[in-house]
Amino acid sequence: MKKYIFTLVIALAAITAFAQKKTTTSAIVTFDATTSIDNLPKAENRTVIAALDASTGIVQFEAAMKNFAFSNPTIQEHFNQSKWMNSDAFPKASFTGKITNLSAVNFKADGTYNVNVEGVLNIRGQDGKVSTPATIVVKGSAISATATFSIKLADYGIEGGAINAGKVSKEPNITVAVDLN
Amino acid sequence: MIPSKKRKPWIKRLLVGGALLLVVLGGIYWYVATETFSDTSDRKPVYEVEAISFIQEFVTNGQAANLKYTEKIVAVSGIISATEAADTTINIKMTDTTTGSYIIFAFQDQHLDDAKTLKAGDKVSIKGACSGGIHSDILGYYSISFKRSALNK
Repeated sequence: MKKYIFTLVIALAAITAFAQKKTTTSAIVTFDATTSIDNLPKAENRTVIAALDASTGIVQFEAAMKNFAFSNPTIQEHFNQSKWMNSDAFPKASFTGKITNLSAVNFKADGTYNVNVEGVLNIRGQDGKVSTPATIVVKGSAISATATFSIKLADYGIEGGAINAGKVSKEPNITVAVDLN
Repeated sequence: MIPSKKRKPWIKRLLVGGALLLVVLGGIYWYVATETFSDTSDRKPVYEVEAISFIQEFVTNGQAANLKYTEKIVAVSGIISATEAADTTINIKMTDTTTGSYIIFAFQDQHLDDAKTLKAGDKVSIKGACSGGIHSDILGYYSISFKRSALNK
């Protein structure tokens, strides 16, 4: 009997832990490296994998580099080339971080909560630290989150004539929008 | 009467040649800067595949499948396993339930209304630009993504 109760407790604990981790395969990440002289280097990826563990505050993202869709074919080709994202060698970018003020969020009560997220962004095989404010909206069982931050391309070994010529921003803005149900 | 200075003919040719070169370079720049992707519904697919066997190709040999399909227009036939809202847009998924691996289609803006009419269980053919597959460490299985998708009518 004890054995059955123990198994039941373990199973319930596993289900509870699983329920607190929410995932989606349709988060949106936009990359905006436009400048005053070039409005082309801007793309959106609508199929980003994201996860949030409400019990620990751990946040994860994975984006297929080649699913960043640009309006201009030449810019998209440049983006994926070896000098830039080198997407053949490094097909995904990832982020693993944590909500540093998790106590500021009540995932059981509807509301809008301001949080801070810190973590490591891996692009092109290189790690960079990211710290950004983010907004979490809880509505029933649905959680949505948004954040905007900038990165320094040089931190990820990305350099080139277009950056020096001012056609691509040295510090593009990254916007993340995620709906978790 | 003061004789007017005559320009040497090679200077004239140089100026005309330079002007022509500028026009050509300007034209190339204009073409590249204003070029956009064509409507996927007008594109002929390079490959026509069935969803589950397509997913299996990636699961079995991701490197070979990526080389074969990435950046090609691929038409995929299969049953929709889920629709996922992404902000004001919608993504369509086809899933191999034995492995969990899936294909996900992000639609071209002009075809979003078509995507919004689809629901889980529908049998469809969708074509789009294949972005290749990645193994997700978060999910533990393959994700194969498409951009600029459209219904393959």
